[in-house]
Order: sequence, then structure tokens, then C-alpha cells
Amino acid sequence: MMIPLRYNIRSLMVRKATTAAATLGIALVVFVLASALMLSEGVKETLSSAGREDIAIVLRKGSDAEMGSTIEDPQIGLIKSMSGVKRESDQPLGTGEVVIVIALEKLGAEGVTNVLVRGVTETSHKLRPDVKIVEGRLPSPGSDEVMIGRAIRGRIKGVELNQSFDLKKNRPVKVVGVFEDNGSSYESEVWADLDNVRASFGRQGAVSSVRVVLDSPASFDAFQAGVESDKRLGLMAKRETKYFEEQSQGTSIFLTFLGGLIAFFFSIGAMIGATITMYASIANRQREIGTLRALGFSRFSILICFLFEAVLLSLIGGLLGLVPAIFMGSIELSMVNFASWSELVFRFRPTPEVLGIAVGSAVVMGILGGFLPAVRAARTSPLAAMRA
Amino acid sequence: MSEQAESIIRLRSVTKEFERGGERLRVLENLDLDVGRGAFEALMGPSGSGKSTLLNLMAGLDRPSGGSIEIDRKRIDQMSEGELAAWRANNVGFVFQSYNLLPVLTAVENVELPLLLTPVASSERRKRAETALRVVGLQDRMQHYPRQLSGGQEQRVSIARAIVTDPILIVADEPTGDLDRKSADEILTLLETLNRTMGKTIVMVTHDPAAAERASMTRHLDKGRLKGEEAPNREPAWEAKT
Repeated sequence: MMIPLRYNIRSLMVRKATTAAATLGIALVVFVLASALMLSEGVKETLSSAGREDIAIVLRKGSDAEMGSTIEDPQIGLIKSMSGVKRESDQPLGTGEVVIVIALEKLGAEGVTNVLVRGVTETSHKLRPDVKIVEGRLPSPGSDEVMIGRAIRGRIKGVELNQSFDLKKNRPVKVVGVFEDNGSSYESEVWADLDNVRASFGRQGAVSSVRVVLDSPASFDAFQAGVESDKRLGLMAKRETKYFEEQSQGTSIFLTFLGGLIAFFFSIGAMIGATITMYASIANRQREIGTLRALGFSRFSILICFLFEAVLLSLIGGLLGLVPAIFMGSIELSMVNFASWSELVFRFRPTPEVLGIAVGSAVVMGILGGFLPAVRAARTSPLAAMRA
Repeated sequence: MSEQAESIIRLRSVTKEFERGGERLRVLENLDLDVGRGAFEALMGPSGSGKSTLLNLMAGLDRPSGGSIEIDRKRIDQMSEGELAAWRANNVGFVFQSYNLLPVLTAVENVELPLLLTPVASSERRKRAETALRVVGLQDRMQHYPRQLSGGQEQRVSIARAIVTDPILIVADEPTGDLDRKSADEILTLLETLNRTMGKTIVMVTHDPAAAERASMTRHLDKGRLKGEEAPNREPAWEAKT
């Protein structure tokens, strides 16, 4: 039979100051860990929500991203004619796009930042029906007008409605619209006319990538086989969702790793804190523990009792740390996406998994930090009850 | 009288040694002792005479270095730590000098504690704890925490805790050591009553001659040996009853 839990709960309550100190340490760790994981989730979500299952993206073989890929114009027609591509009024639904990163001056801060510019066609909009103008209008095709994603608006010099900035030196473009796309990574891009971008950067005759709409998500395999079987083309096809997932990997792994590393070092401190708290508490309770032993409670039940107390302590800390972490969910921030080296704006995203991991890590800290003190408690001799 | 028919405690050639600073210290020396069922005995002796060690051995808190200890016809000197703990839970009630109540539990919760180690159901546990508190006259202090009680009341809670499992033996280590005269008298009267009306066997270590006076018999310990046989202070309960 176990020692009642209320014994531990009340024991923690009467030692308010030490309990508070130890819980705060653990709360800090859980806050850092949860924040890092939420960031990582946020990056994943932002990048992967841009993808569609029934769209395939074709890149030059060996390139990780659209940026480093080149596909010559004649190949575009070939790709669009592959089996599995959806047709609309007898025309295959697909388009080539060019992606370029330019450096622009930040607004309200020193230095420059990279902005991803996408040269698009009218078909580009058909491929992304969720992209909607929230202010201003669509740029007219073939002009030097551009539209900007909601997320980068106002962060960069000239990247604001009715203002203009240089695509390249002496190649100014005018912002006529602001668009949104359910928080996807497109919201961190500038969309300009394909030919205007190609002319500005001397990339006539080639695009970065070709996207096609498939008959159905199941048609991908046939399409991929068609594209990749022709070795002369030297191309590869990916499902768009998969492509964005891969794009997010580098950044989210980095964030998870960095956050995990910080949380790890913090957690050592917090665990030592919990261990000291428990040791002190057990030292103060030698006679109590001896009495429990004298009354007949086994060593094992004493061990479990104090292990539980340590877990309870860290669980309180964990929940305490989650509260501010969840509030971080309303903060939007930007950082460089490692796949495109351009600015990406995203949010902290509290998913059930992240919260579970954070609370779980608090429990683990409690067990690890509380184990040695609990062993010491369990080894208390029943004779300790007799000592005055 | 130690050879009387029913000995509940039977010690034979018991020795106890401690190691202190690399030196072996013999605290109890080849000790024989019989305590009759239903007795109320006081153990007296100067500090370091081994009386507390003897009490600890009888209560199964510690094991002898040599000899045998039989309590209610069970050899406890050969039990393992775990077996001893289970045995204590079922057979011994403890009354400590400093009461040793858990400060974060109420009086009734403290009394309930030893019942957690028995198969008694939880609703029944509470009832028995309340009954035990009634026996010691604390029916209106059940929900009080130890810090809200006087020393005498705390000791009474501790006595309620000692009797709640209906043990065959109650050991008391200086039960009046921390109390004023009046409270001490009340506690001794309570122990006397438990001995007389409920037939509880009680062994009490004490410094206080007035406390020893209340026991049915006093034994004196000196340098690890019992000093001869002592005359009974009064008729022990188990004889008075028959």
C-alpha cells in the first residue's frame, strides 16, 4: 500500500519558497523547449501549407530548390505534354516560373535582407486558387507591376502598397497589390511578371521550375516516370507537398536542434535545482520518513512516494512554463529560410504533440532529478524515528 | 515471574554491537528477558545503558548481533528488512517521545496511516481511525493539524495511531519526556487504561520515576545488562484478569 498522495501535495505546499524556486527553474526549461518546438512546427506549417497534393513541381536534377534550378523554355512544353497532366480547354495546365533572391534594405533596422521574387504567369494564379488580393489589385500581365505577400509588407523599404523598389539597379517595380495565402510561405514573396523578371536578370529563355496540375494526386507516379525516364532532359519531378516539406526540413531541424540544445543545458540546471530541493526537503524530514518506515511502510513505497513528489514538483513547473509558451503563439516573427536564403515569416505553433513533449520532458526531469534523493529517502532507517 | 506460562516477548542471549569510530561497542550483553502477555513494563536506566536499543529490538526496528527474539511465538531476529517492516505494520504500535505525527496530515489522517498497510477498506479505515481518536478523547480534534494541538493532545493522537491496528505490542519511547507533569499524568493514565481495559501489552522506556511507578513492573538496565529481578509495582493485567 502506498503513502497517500496528499502527503506529498501538502508537503510541497508547506515549503512554498523552495517549491516555487524549483518549479520556476523547470518552468523556464519547458518554456524554452516548447517555444523552440513551436517555432519548428511553425516553419513546417508555413512551408508545407503552400503545397498541393495534385501539383507536381519539376526541377533540374540535382537541385534542392527552385532557386538553383534552370529549365530551358523548349522543355516546358515537353513537360506539360507528359501523361497525367490535367488539361483545361484542351491546354495542359502548367507553367514555368523563375525564382530569384534580391537584397533589399530593411525598414526600421540596419542592414539588408533577402527577398524572394517569383516571376509568375497568369496560370500561376490558377495553380494557387487560395492566393487572394487583400488590398490593391492584381498586377497587369507584362508590366512592371508587382504584388507582395502580406507577411513582408512594411518590413522592407519600398515593399508597401503604392510604393516602388528596384528589382535590379535601374529596374524599378511598382507595388499594386497585397496578397495572402493562409499563412503559407508565399506570403513572404514578391510576385512579379515572369518576362519582366527574366529580362531584368538576363534570364530569357529559361525558368527555374515548372509546375503542372495533375489529373488527380494518384497520377503523380505516371507523370514522374515520364519526366525522369528521359535522361536527356536531366529533370526530376516532386510532389509539391513533398517539395515544401523538404524545404522546411533544414530550418526546422536547425530550430529543433538549437532549441533542444538550449533546453538541454537549462534542464541540467533545473534538474540540479530539483535535486537540491528534494535533498533538502528529505534531510528536513528524516524523522517523518523514519516514522513511516517504523510504522511499516516499505523502502519501495518510500521511494515511489518521493519520486512522485519530485515528479509533481516538475509537473507544476512544466504547466507553469507552458502558459507563456502558448501565449507565444500570437507572436509573428521572421527569419532566414535555409533552403532559399530568403526572409520567411512565421508563427509559433502550439500543437498537441509539442505540448505533450514539453510536459513529458518535465516529468522526465522530475524522475531524473528526484531519483537520487528518493533513493536516499528510501534508505532511511526506521531508527531515524527514534532520534530526537 | 518471567517463567510464567504466557510470555509474549522472549529474548534469549541477545547481544547488540555497534561499530563506532572503528571500535566495536557492545551495547547489550547476553540478555535474557521475558515479558508476559498483558504486561505494562517500564525500562529504566542511565543514558547509554542500552534501554532504547532493547526497545528497538523488541519493536523490530533493529536486529540483534546475536541471540534470539521471539514475539508472540514468532522469531523476528531472522526476518529480512522487508519482512520486519510488514511485521511491524501488523503487530507493533509506536508511541514516540516527540509524537512523530506527520505535520501535513490531520489528526484523523495521521491515525489512518498505519491502516493503509492493512487490508482494511478505505471507508472502514476512516471509521476505525475515528474510533481510536474517541478512545483517547480527541473526538472533537479530528480535523486539526498537529500544529493546532497541544503536546499532550499530539501524544494522544500518536497513541490513537498506535492502537488503531490493534497490535499485540505497544512500545513507548519516553512518552512523557516532552510533556509537563499534568499532560504526562494524563498520558500515563491513558496507557494504564489501555493496558487494563484492553489488555494491551506495553513496554515503555522512561527516565521518569513517576512514569515508571505507573507501570506494573520496572526493569533496570545498566551497561547492557538487566539488574536482577524487580518486584512488580502491582499485579499485571493478565494475572488480574484470570
